[in-house]
Amino acid sequence: MSSDGHSLSPLQLRLLGTIFERGAEAGSRALTQWLGQAVHLTISEVDQVDITEVSGLLGPEEATVAVCAMSFSGRLDGQLLLVFSDAAGLALADMLLHQPSGTTIAWTELERSAACETANIVGCAYLNALSAHLPGGSAGQPETLIPGPPEFRHEFAASLLQFAVMEQASALERVLLIKTRFQAARADLDWVLLFVPTPHSLADLARSTA
Amino acid sequence: MADGAGGVAELFVSMGKWAVAPAPVLIRTLLGSCVGVVLYDRVAKMGGVAHVVLPDSRGDTALPGKYADTAIPAMIADFERMQGRKSQGRLVAKIVGGASMFQTTTPTLNIGKQNHDAVERILAARGIPILARELGGDAGRRLTLDTQTGTVSVRVPGGADYDI
Repeated sequence: MSSDGHSLSPLQLRLLGTIFERGAEAGSRALTQWLGQAVHLTISEVDQVDITEVSGLLGPEEATVAVCAMSFSGRLDGQLLLVFSDAAGLALADMLLHQPSGTTIAWTELERSAACETANIVGCAYLNALSAHLPGGSAGQPETLIPGPPEFRHEFAASLLQFAVMEQASALERVLLIKTRFQAARADLDWVLLFVPTPHSLADLARSTA
Repeated sequence: MADGAGGVAELFVSMGKWAVAPAPVLIRTLLGSCVGVVLYDRVAKMGGVAHVVLPDSRGDTALPGKYADTAIPAMIADFERMQGRKSQGRLVAKIVGGASMFQTTTPTLNIGKQNHDAVERILAARGIPILARELGGDAGRRLTLDTQTGTVSVRVPGGADYDI
């Protein structure tokens, strides 16, 4: 850990990756049950990124993405974001409604609700597993991670990332993002789950993995 | 610099950066909580956009484009260097952005509003008039400055471009 209390060494980032794989495994099980087909979540990136490079991390900056945002609090505070391309999000609705792919063409209340429910299921499983596997925090700190209700938004990819990292950017030059990707046997799932802690929680992660 | 659909060169300004260019160039940025500060010199047909992340550098010089109090002077210095003269009395401004999508864990940490206030204060201190403001709300914005005309257009997700 560096002297600023927020920078993580490569070893610490690898350790966090191992811990977050537990969250991904729990998310895989929950999502497999919810979708009725095998889905595999893998941690694709655990990195601290310069704020000037954040805008392009979800692909083209101007692409409009659908996002279900869940705040979490407790042992750690921050945001968990389930991000879909429009096509992938609408394909999810088809999957849940047992319709041929391409049937759903717009985000109505039903599709938004299906996306948020999916975020809730995968997010809660992910956070519960993290709660169980995070190294010890400070005395008196709550051990659990408490998810808030997911909120659906349509947003420019770059703007979404700005909103997500703003609290970290207010204190740091580099921001920590933990990115999870999804794979399914019968469908190409162009989804990303982003875990974005607050600066305070990033310092906690840095301390507890030192 | 890339060529846009109309054959006009386009510059994209990332978070914490700024760009100044003479016409004909389109300067673009995408904003969330950050504030886009547009400066334009009508006579020289030269424009600039700064993508301000935070209000106050508190002496940090590592990333001047990140903070309102360092990004705006740096952008003005680029105008003056490129034109070889002082810019006083020649620049006008438009400001865009400062939205809040998430409730922060610290209720007082409304960065968008703090950025807006800082930009207003710095521009006023330098006597640069603000011709238009498009601020607040809870959605991101795409800002495009046409350095040929000084027109600033804004688009929100799912919407069409409109001029401010």
